[in-house]
This record gives sequence, C-alpha cells and structure tokens, in this order.
Amino acid sequence: MRRTGLSAMALACTAVLAGALPAFADGTKATPSPVPTATQAPTSAPSARPSASTAPSAVPSAAPTRAPSSGQVSVVPSGAPNTGAVPPTSDSSSTGALVGGGAAAAVVLGGGAVFLVRRRQANGA
Amino acid sequence: MSRLSGRALAIAALAALLVACGGPGATSTPSASARPPAKSGKSVSAVGRSTPVRLRIPAIGVDTPVMKLGLAADGSVQVPPIAAHDRAGWYEHSPTPGRTGPSVILGHVTVGAYGDGVFRRLGELHRGEKIVTRLENGTAAVFAVTEVRTVSKAHFPSDEVYGNVNRPELRLITCGGKRTGDGYLDNVIVFAALSSAGP
Repeated sequence: MRRTGLSAMALACTAVLAGALPAFADGTKATPSPVPTATQAPTSAPSARPSASTAPSAVPSAAPTRAPSSGQVSVVPSGAPNTGAVPPTSDSSSTGALVGGGAAAAVVLGGGAVFLVRRRQANGA
Repeated sequence: MSRLSGRALAIAALAALLVACGGPGATSTPSASARPPAKSGKSVSAVGRSTPVRLRIPAIGVDTPVMKLGLAADGSVQVPPIAAHDRAGWYEHSPTPGRTGPSVILGHVTVGAYGDGVFRRLGELHRGEKIVTRLENGTAAVFAVTEVRTVSKAHFPSDEVYGNVNRPELRLITCGGKRTGDGYLDNVIVFAALSSAGP
C-alpha cells in the first residue's frame, strides 16, 4: 500500500515538472516577437541604422521645427514625451502560466487515470 | 481503488492547480502628492551656464549619466535610446539646472526587453527628497521635490512643465499609468526647486 502511494506521488511530481517547464520555455506566441529596439529607436534618427547605446539621440537632422521663443525654455516641444517602451513579454507571461498550468494538470490527470487502470487490472488478476 | 491511491491523485491535482495560479503580480500605481509647484521665490541663477552630466536621486537609487536631448522631427522632445544601460537625458533647450527657469530631464520607466528604465521608481518620490545634478563645469545643483504628479498624456501640462518660473526649478519626466500595447497612457512628472548649489 505504502509503495503504491509513493509511486503515485512520484508520478504526479514528474508530470507537473514535465508539463510546466517546457510550456514556459518559449512563451505562448507561435511566432517570435520582434526585437523591441526596432520600433523604439530615437525618434530623430535619420535612417534605420541601429543606434549605439552610447550615442546621443540628438543628431543634426533633428533641427527644431519651431521658432525659438523668448521664454526660459527656448523651444517648447509639442505633445507628451514617450519615455516608456513596454516589455514585449509582459502580457504573454501570465497567459503562459495559465496554459502551462493547464497542461500540467492534464498530464497529472492522465497519469492518474493510467495508474488507476493498472491498479484495477492488478487487483483483478 | 484504494483510499491511498485516491489521496495521491487528489494531491497531484492540487499541485497542478497551484502551478496554474502562479502568475506574476500586478504592478502598483505610483502615488502622487497633491502639492502644486511653487511659483514664487527669489529669482536667482546659482550656477553658470553649463551642461548636466550626472543625475543622482538617493531616495530611489538613481545615479546615472545625463545625455543631451533635442527635438525630434515631429516637434516632440527626444528621448534617450532604448538600451540595456538606460540613462537620463537633459532637454538642451531648457535652462542649465541651477539657473532660473524649468530645467527638464527625461528618462524611461521601462526599456522594452531590457527591463526597468532609469526612472522606473520616479513615482515613489516624495516632497522634500533630494535630487542632485552635477554639471560639466564641476558644480552641482541640489533640488528638493515639491510635487509628484501623474498626468494623462492626452492632457500633458506643457505650460506647467516648460513655462517660465522665477527661480531655478527642475522637472523629471517619465511614463507611467496603464500600459497599452506599445506604451503608457500617462506621464509621471516630478517638480523640484533648487535648495543649494556649489562645487
């Protein structure tokens, strides 16, 4: 009896680990997400050349399009600054946890069913 | 089926449910104090004309180099590049920190796949906390926070951020609020006033 219980526990733990870990390895998206720097490059760069992390984003082509004012801020920018690039995997991580957990539960239940069938067969023999 | 087998199966199902419920926690919304920025005070320029090269905010663990930022082609302010070692940027058409007027420094709250930006914790600042800007000429201007505000990007208060003031002030700007598909809906703005300056 004790041996049977221990076997069931080992099976359950193995199934949980096997179901959870691979499910999170690559996220849930079928296609790879693009590199985020492609769309978040400094807005004034004149070409698609990737910016070096040490290069300032103020390049000569980004000349002010507004006439200087007499205020303390000589050229007042328009609009609100875009100072936040959202991590690409932030939304898929919670979804991945649910899908992975569901897969693990399915594996555990399947393993339990196989165990029960074999147990009944052993009792009947 | 034996009772022991039934218990084992129940434990296994419980373990699976625990795995399924283990998602990441929700992010907290930055708090904002309700004090308006001070508009009065002595008109002084405590430092000479220079360029900020470093920014330090001890209360939130910020110690970063500062780069120059200009205007983008669409007339908006430039922002620092998305990079692993994120840094702050000073808007070069605003006054030198420590000179009369609103000096403006921007930084990212998050930098995409690189994680947190240099201003990730900007919304945690409180009134009176210290901000130190070190200038290229060797002097430092020390500011005290007067207000932390979260505003909708659709109603960005340009006049309050870029408008004239009669003393040296500082604005730190990043993004905040709810995330959308590719950005944030709000801006977090820290207003600060000069408290001391010197080498």
